[in-house]
Amino acid sequence: MSDYTIERVKTGIPGLDELIEGGFPKGDTILIAGKAGTGKSILATQFIYKGVTEYNEPGVFVTLEESPILIKRNMLRFGMDLEKLEKEGKISIVDLSPSKEATPATIGEYPSFDLSGLQAIIMNHIKKINATRVVLDTLSIMAYKFRSRDILREEFFRLAANITRTGCTLLITSEIPAQETGLGVFDIEAFLASGVIVLYNEKISDTSRSRSIEVLKLRGSKHSSRIHSMRITDEGIRVWPGEISPGS
Amino acid sequence: MKTEPTESEADDSNMIEVVFFKSDSCAFCPRAEEVIRETINDFGLDTFKLVIINVSENPEAAEEYGIFALPTVMIGGVSITGIPEPEMLMKMVLGAKVMTKKKGES
Ligand SMILES: Nc1ncnc2c1ncn2[C@@H]1O[C@H](COP(=O)(O)OP(=O)(O)OP(=O)(O)O)[C@@H](O)[C@H]1O
Ligand SMILES: [Mg+2]
Repeated sequence: MSDYTIERVKTGIPGLDELIEGGFPKGDTILIAGKAGTGKSILATQFIYKGVTEYNEPGVFVTLEESPILIKRNMLRFGMDLEKLEKEGKISIVDLSPSKEATPATIGEYPSFDLSGLQAIIMNHIKKINATRVVLDTLSIMAYKFRSRDILREEFFRLAANITRTGCTLLITSEIPAQETGLGVFDIEAFLASGVIVLYNEKISDTSRSRSIEVLKLRGSKHSSRIHSMRITDEGIRVWPGEISPGS
Repeated sequence: MKTEPTESEADDSNMIEVVFFKSDSCAFCPRAEEVIRETINDFGLDTFKLVIINVSENPEAAEEYGIFALPTVMIGGVSITGIPEPEMLMKMVLGAKVMTKKKGES
């Protein structure tokens, strides 16, 4: 053991820090993968919300899927008032969802582009509120917006590197398609991130499902290698570090 | 919105607005801009108003229109990403022309 310790960013998810030596390594890219409805967006939003309310760390939430109105409404159920933090300038919710009216319909795509637009948008918000936490929810939607997968793959690496270079810890969510065994639609999700967290909501009997969470990898960390119970409570997501998931 | 209006400052109510999004770091943008300017020139300058938005200087505009990828050119409510083929641009332009004509008639 050396004296050198990696600076950790608290996740804001009760129970999760204990599984990963106190938090995500600061400045890393972390992938939150899971099938539909497993709680990826809630976990990522909670990371941003608690980042402010418990650790005074401003955060940028970039939504590529759900509209900010729905996100705010859903998070209020957990007592998390995003609107308030937004007004106080502690968080930015960047609306890049398809619900945006001004977005033109793409009628042509040539394999000669980069994602410097997305990068400029995110960087602008990071600077504005001095953010140290950034969420991109969800990477998977890019597969529907663009056809040129090879460009996207390359650009994701560049985007993540440029965001984390500012010292920000970046959470990227990825939806695992229903019948898949990988971590997402691009096949590079695991390489993109230095940490991977997988969320499950598995059927454990004919009439019930059970939520759980697994730390698949986390560079530089001695993390739990078991699948732990997780629940979505009235206060948001909570992990039970001592409880091993009944499904595993 | 901070833009660099080029070509014409004249009465532009009947002109078709071509919005070109670029950035300082985008390697394909200069070529895309060339193609767009050439195509516009072929049509006749008085038909178009070219608005160039440098996203590095004006990220708010990219956010407003939800533009992730550069270069992107927008005419009317539609866009093309990447270095456009002149024929594709022509199609877009013709579509936009029909729209403005309809607007003028009604
Ligand atoms: N107030 C609540 N109490 C308990 N469970 C809830 C509550 N609100 C949502 N959920 C559960 O959380 C799920 C949605 O979570 P979330 O939106 O984070 O999923 P996701 O993994 O992002 O899904 P998707 O891939 O579709 O975006 C719902 O399907 C529901 O099961
Ligand atoms: Mg989601």
